[in-house]
Amino acid sequence: MIELVNVRKVFNAGRPAEFTALSGVNLSIESNKVTVLIGPSGSGKTTLLSIIGCMSRPTAGRVQLAGREITSLPERFLTDIRRKTFGFIFQQHNLIKGITALENVMLPAYPLGERHVPLKQRAMKLMEDLHLSDKAESKVEWLSGGEAQRVGIVRALINNPSTIIADEPTAHLDTQLSHRFLGIVKRFKEERKTVLITTHDPLVYDDPVIDRIIRLRDGRLEVERR
Amino acid sequence: MREWIEKQKYIIDFTLSSLLRRKAKNIGLLALYTLIVFILASVMFFTHAIKKEASLILDQSPEMIVQKLVAGRQDLVPLRFVETVRGIRGVQAVRGRLWGYYFDPRFGANYTLLVPPPTAQTGAAGNGSRRVMVEGEPDRNAEGSAGPLFDLGADEIGVGSVVIGSGVARVREAGTGELMLFRAYDGEILPFRIKKILPSSSQLVSSDLILIDEADFKRLFGIADGLVTDLAVTVRNPTELSTIASKITRRLPDARPIIRDEILRTYDSIFNWRGGMMIVILSSAVLAFVIFAWDKASGLSAGERREIGILKAIGWESSDIILMKFWDGAVVSLTAFLSGVILAYGHVFFTDSVVFEPALKGWSTLYPRFKLIPFVSAEQVTTLFFLTVVPYSVATIVPAWRAATIDPDSAMRYTGE
Amino acid sequence: MILHPTVIANLLASLTVSGMILYSAYYGLQIVRHWDLSSGSELQLTLERRTYLISTILSYVFGLELLSLFLYVFTADSLCPLFVGAMCAAGTLNVNGFGYPALLLKMFDFFLAGLWLILNHADNQAWDYPLIRKKYLLLVVIAPFIVGEMVLQCAYFLKMKANVITSCCGSLFSSERVEGLGSEIAALSPQTMLWMFYVSVAVTIVAGIHFYLRQRGGYLFSALAIITFFVSIVAIISVISLYIYELPTHHCPFCVLQKEYHYVGYLLYLALFGALVSGGGVSALIPFRTIESLRTVIPALVRKLALASVVLYSLFTATVTYRIAVSHLIM
Repeated sequence: MIELVNVRKVFNAGRPAEFTALSGVNLSIESNKVTVLIGPSGSGKTTLLSIIGCMSRPTAGRVQLAGREITSLPERFLTDIRRKTFGFIFQQHNLIKGITALENVMLPAYPLGERHVPLKQRAMKLMEDLHLSDKAESKVEWLSGGEAQRVGIVRALINNPSTIIADEPTAHLDTQLSHRFLGIVKRFKEERKTVLITTHDPLVYDDPVIDRIIRLRDGRLEVERR
Repeated sequence: MREWIEKQKYIIDFTLSSLLRRKAKNIGLLALYTLIVFILASVMFFTHAIKKEASLILDQSPEMIVQKLVAGRQDLVPLRFVETVRGIRGVQAVRGRLWGYYFDPRFGANYTLLVPPPTAQTGAAGNGSRRVMVEGEPDRNAEGSAGPLFDLGADEIGVGSVVIGSGVARVREAGTGELMLFRAYDGEILPFRIKKILPSSSQLVSSDLILIDEADFKRLFGIADGLVTDLAVTVRNPTELSTIASKITRRLPDARPIIRDEILRTYDSIFNWRGGMMIVILSSAVLAFVIFAWDKASGLSAGERREIGILKAIGWESSDIILMKFWDGAVVSLTAFLSGVILAYGHVFFTDSVVFEPALKGWSTLYPRFKLIPFVSAEQVTTLFFLTVVPYSVATIVPAWRAATIDPDSAMRYTGE
Repeated sequence: MILHPTVIANLLASLTVSGMILYSAYYGLQIVRHWDLSSGSELQLTLERRTYLISTILSYVFGLELLSLFLYVFTADSLCPLFVGAMCAAGTLNVNGFGYPALLLKMFDFFLAGLWLILNHADNQAWDYPLIRKKYLLLVVIAPFIVGEMVLQCAYFLKMKANVITSCCGSLFSSERVEGLGSEIAALSPQTMLWMFYVSVAVTIVAGIHFYLRQRGGYLFSALAIITFFVSIVAIISVISLYIYELPTHHCPFCVLQKEYHYVGYLLYLALFGALVSGGGVSALIPFRTIESLRTVIPALVRKLALASVVLYSLFTATVTYRIAVSHLIM
């Protein structure tokens, strides 16, 4: 359960370029549900996602994660919560080039200082689940778009998070791969993970796996539809 | 603790792979860094080794030298000084020495002329004009003075012959058996036969040396009997040196005693000064390098910026990125430092400092070709570390921190491949 | 002034460290003034980012203080041929009135920087940064000391003139001439001093183990650790050095760093300084153990520090005992 109370985010406060990305957002996201966030670009989706995902702090308002107030936590602790609670899947996959798929998958676990052997075993197991075992030792630039996204998904899962956040996951995928992605989302739901997706894609927000749709415009929530 | 070590291992591993991925960017920095270390290390190794050499030679020279001053200028010492000095309590032995310089206008070179001590009489306390021992001479500059590297006595040279140093032989392209002409004080040309060439050992001093017989020496410079260049004094207890020196000046007001330690100190100062001067001159190069390093570290490429954004987005924290940058700097510094030091070591001790020999050694065309004894101390390495690695590391702190505080959500805002 | 590469390195190091500490103290003051964790304003976010920079800088300051401490002694050692009567660092440091004060201040600054890092480490583990104001005030207090060290060091090197007659370690720390603290230390009876040293180390180690197991008597242990540091330094001058040099009159705390004595001095001093900083850190942290967010952090941390201090003192004592046992000097 993630609760946002009256959250505001202002950039460049007090300067001519002042810009309010979010103004007074009240929202609660239930656990073990798939929630979709839609809205035109510039509506504040990414800002909202980054506040929910503990990547940045709101200028005002409160954020509670599983009943714990996290608004006033310094970066050090936000990061700690983030890496244990959230897994991120990005639109651009955001894989680091020049190293192998396996290394990319293991990267989020490096700062935690886990022993190498169990970490590698876990990474291989997760890759196997998404049929990537034979790509583990390939450099990421040799992967196809679908494979790259699945590597990104495995990376999001490496620290076993309870919540998956996906930013425009199907933007660069064809229909078949998009369906495959939704299949993975379904599995997350079965594993009782919370999923939060931003998207423009009707294929995603019309899918039966979605529990709830939230619309955002000009930094405010619109009335909910479902 | 185990977690901490594992974490360092992961981060070092990742840093190394990032460095290798950006070879092109890093190779320039590494080359420049190595060059800076190399130059500074060469200067320091060279001055230090030459200082060491000079002090080794001086160790063998007499503890005290007594000169005579006339109107503030050095003059020849009359042999009556010997008796007076020997009369002072604590003085073990006094010996008169004959030596001087000869300028050869044809080659533009200065030779050091020296009358070697008669072998048979070595060890016996001299009592007059015939007992002339040569143990070394205070030189005009750092070239040092001669140690007992000539085991040839005066008898072996013989009237009409000379023994020359390798530098003299090199400049004059002279070989054993050839004649060497000298112009005496009265204009008369005196021929001397080269009897032997001294081997070019590690000793700095033997290079511009010419050993000559006492009679020839006096004939060449017109020195009357009963006069010597200076006196070499040995004392029983070295701690009494300064007391004896003051007694000498009291009994012989026109004498000037010079204690070996003072010479050593002067040489040390000269070489420290030269080395320090070079460092000051080179500091502009270090500064330029530091600015370059700062610039390089601040000017993150779009790719690097994006990579750090990704790392932060997937759960790396600012201090993890700073740690990564620290290891990055440590790897670069260590590589540059080690290779720079090793190259400089080879340069100074195996190639005789080909690059800046002229700048450091002096100006004499006769300057010796010698091999320095390899000598590197922890102090030099620490100094070098402070002059190169510390400025580099400090210059990269702020850029590393700037890079580390890139917003984690920048990875989400990134569009376009 | 003597233009020597090592002197230049010293001056460069102290200027750099001073610059870094002034820079951090400036931003430290801003943090003291404007810190408000509950705010999400951009100022607060900027300040929070600054804390990363300042901790990084302070880690460098700590490292540089330690390294430059050795560099300083090295320099003094390598300059001694320039001074009549100076036979090692002890004599060179005495060529003017700034040499020893600079050395002592350097050691003190190293200690302060170490304490700051310990406080910082504890604070960074509490989600509300409860020590943040105290920590940055301490930084503002440390800054003048480090600048003072720089001034003393510059004065020492700039006023240095070659050929000044100075006392070498033979006379400075020799028991024959009784004047100055150095000779008074040397004049202490070696046997008594050796006993004092062993007793104080033993008491400290016992107190440390007691604290580690029972978590009581932290202040006592910390005070003992600091006292033992001074006792150990005095013992090095008055008796341990004699055994290491195997000379009954050579009381010098610097020559142990030389190659002739297998660089044993580095081991001794590193252990001693480490034991001082970790032992002193215990009493710096205990006052804050009741703060809610530090309740679990501090007890674990002080235990670790106490253990580190005990281990380092044991290492120091074991090394000293070994050197005494193999020494040919019989007293």
